[in-house]
Amino acid sequence: MMTARSDIAWCPGCGNFAIRDALEKAIRELPVPRKDIVVTSGIGQAAKMPHYIDVNFFNGLHGRSLPLAVGIKLARPDLTVIAYSGDGCHYGEGGNHFIQTIRRRLDITILVSDNQVYALTKGQTSPTTDPGTVNSLDPEGNRNLPLNPVLLALSMGAPFVARGYAGDKSHLKDLIREAILFRGTSVVDILQPCVSFNRTNTYEWCGERVYRLRKPRTDLFQAMKTAAVWGDRIPIGILYRNEETECRTGKTLYGERITDEDIRNQLGLPCVMMR
Amino acid sequence: MTDCGWTAGKSLEGGPIMDFSVVIGGEAGQGAFSVELEATEMLAALGYHFFATKNYMSRVRGGHNFHMIRIADHPVHALSGKPWDMIVALDGETERRHRPNLREGGIYLSREMTREIESEARSAFGSAVASNSVIVGLLLSVIGADSDRVADAAGEERRDLLKRGRSFAERWNVAGHVAIPPRAGTSCRLDGNQALALGAILGGCQFMAGYPMTPATSIMHHFSMAARSAPVHFEQAEDEISAVNMALGASYAGVRAMVATSGGGFALMQEGVSLAGMTETPIVIVIAQRPGPATGLPTRTEQADLNFVVHAGHGEFARIVFAPGSIHEAIRLARDSFDLADRFQIPVFLLTDQYFADSVHVVEEALALEPRFREPPAVDSAYRRYRLTEDGISPLAFPGLSDSLVRVDSDEHDEEGKITEDLELRMRMVDKRFGRQNLLRNAAVPPTRFGDVEADTLVLCWGSNRLILQEAVEWLVGEGIRIAGLHFGQVYPLAAEMIAPHDLKSRRLVSVENNAGGQFAALLKRELGIEVSESVLKYNGECFTVGELCRSLRRIVTGGDR
Repeated sequence: MMTARSDIAWCPGCGNFAIRDALEKAIRELPVPRKDIVVTSGIGQAAKMPHYIDVNFFNGLHGRSLPLAVGIKLARPDLTVIAYSGDGCHYGEGGNHFIQTIRRRLDITILVSDNQVYALTKGQTSPTTDPGTVNSLDPEGNRNLPLNPVLLALSMGAPFVARGYAGDKSHLKDLIREAILFRGTSVVDILQPCVSFNRTNTYEWCGERVYRLRKPRTDLFQAMKTAAVWGDRIPIGILYRNEETECRTGKTLYGERITDEDIRNQLGLPCVMMR
Repeated sequence: MTDCGWTAGKSLEGGPIMDFSVVIGGEAGQGAFSVELEATEMLAALGYHFFATKNYMSRVRGGHNFHMIRIADHPVHALSGKPWDMIVALDGETERRHRPNLREGGIYLSREMTREIESEARSAFGSAVASNSVIVGLLLSVIGADSDRVADAAGEERRDLLKRGRSFAERWNVAGHVAIPPRAGTSCRLDGNQALALGAILGGCQFMAGYPMTPATSIMHHFSMAARSAPVHFEQAEDEISAVNMALGASYAGVRAMVATSGGGFALMQEGVSLAGMTETPIVIVIAQRPGPATGLPTRTEQADLNFVVHAGHGEFARIVFAPGSIHEAIRLARDSFDLADRFQIPVFLLTDQYFADSVHVVEEALALEPRFREPPAVDSAYRRYRLTEDGISPLAFPGLSDSLVRVDSDEHDEEGKITEDLELRMRMVDKRFGRQNLLRNAAVPPTRFGDVEADTLVLCWGSNRLILQEAVEWLVGEGIRIAGLHFGQVYPLAAEMIAPHDLKSRRLVSVENNAGGQFAALLKRELGIEVSESVLKYNGECFTVGELCRSLRRIVTGGDR
């Protein structure tokens, strides 16, 4: 049963509503029953997402949706695992997990509501905030360079990297579905205008800039060039798709029994000294 | 009275005791550990009672490490603290550091002698590394090991090397110096970390995530070795925060999971402990303590993280903290930890230390080696992960087993796992999570008592000090001193029922701990109102020896050093 819109903790007009609709539709189109889908999330406005769709979820701690997803996927390769959070959670608090999770080559989908601001804590600088942006903790303007998540994901070896936009719902729905169906680590950074705390990167701002990529790049360096495009023009769509990358599959653990022989092997191991 | 703290030179049966302690000292990377490893393998194969531990520096080459092996005709599980019966010097430092503590008439293998072994090993076997086996052969000859049995146990590859060691012993006139009968029979030989990994696998643990940290790393090693053939998985995480969250993810997904680390890594894991408490996700956490604060002495021992572990994680929720005192107890408690974590849906801690991790024991007791298996839970369509129940335990189920969804949240949540700010419900959820502590008190593992049951003086210890204290108490009782010991394998929660049979309030209580603050004594006072009158504390990074504890306790009981 869908959650009534009035129960949702997002602001009216929030980009996350459109993303939720796109995610919900994408899940409906999957050849996977809902009972086999797990969404992990961290903390933040975006991280509340799993509460508003009918799936299994582990809404964990700030920045930690990815280690949870890794643990779930390794323990239960049969489950479809999606890690959902915002830019602060995935790229800030969980930035190292973002890098390291891609390296693990697991079949996990990483979705990011990227509103370029810390919204739940009321408008501080996030890793993707534009330089010079003024807010309560940056009264003189943000001095840091923004992180380019799609370029970072490509450089870490993610075989499926895309950017979506909350203002282009049907395109986003297709991106999310493709990302989940892709066998390997997929990353979708989603432009999500924040109507309360981001006065710069608005629907209008995004709408003027985004353009749809016609087809996915399969050449990494071409993809990186496209991923580096940001400013007057912002490409959306699948930036890179590489079916050749080997995906790591965990062995079946659940329901498997440890045998007496396993125990005998364990008893025969030599002691080790490890610093 | 010698200054080693021993008064008796006789066994309990009255005959002379056979008790032989050897130290092998050298620079890191020089082979002292290889000698210990090979010697303990051979001693176990030949059926000797022995105990081995190590004192090493936080470096890969150079410095000075020493490996200690005590061989006896009866079970031994601690360093005696007596002067060395034999010293093997692989470096110059060994002479300076250990030779002053060589027993009169003891064997000293000087650096010149070990160099001679090395050069002969190089010319005879083509490698100086072979000298490690030659030294083991020499040691076995010193304790009078039967040459045919040694040759059988050695196997083809090492036979000649060990034989060469025997000829060195003969050449230097030390063969059969102290003939010790092998009386352990067929038994198993394990170090503390092996025991924990084995216990975990017996307990049905199938997932471990970790970030290498001394002295916990070898638990991960043993688990990952199991993963080569058994249905278990080890994942090396990018940091301890990730490790604990991965384990919680695996546990949520239905696979029993654990992490292992030391104090500094556990500091990073704390948010995950709190997450386990809030989401009621079962997890087992091993903390092998080393001296802090911060990086401290990375390769030495201490018991200073008890307060830390008992209080770890923000908010209020239930937990169990075990501190095993023997290999047997470690296997049992590690195994049972997974059942308890599941049954009560809590974090269960196994608190050990470097001394425990790195000490090798002969396991005399029979081990229960049947691996446990958790049957999949039955789930109906009305499933709610956090259902409020009469006994305060919600039904545990996993995603994908039925059409019922499994939803867990680090926010305060309702019975379905959805975020809530219903403050009345909040109180009921706290009562459910925290109130479980009372159920845990009823399930507490009682402490182990040894020594003179009528004694007025009772010495309390926890964790790795158990077997050191046990031997010290045996010797003091042998001297006619009225003393007993009580070891806590469960240190939290503490329940009145645990100590009821031991009448603590009417006895003179002494605590023995490897820390500066007497943390367990303070916990005992806070939880049960029990106060110790004296404490024996050691916090230089080394374990107690039996002789050292004998001295301290004798002084306390008799009022002076006899």
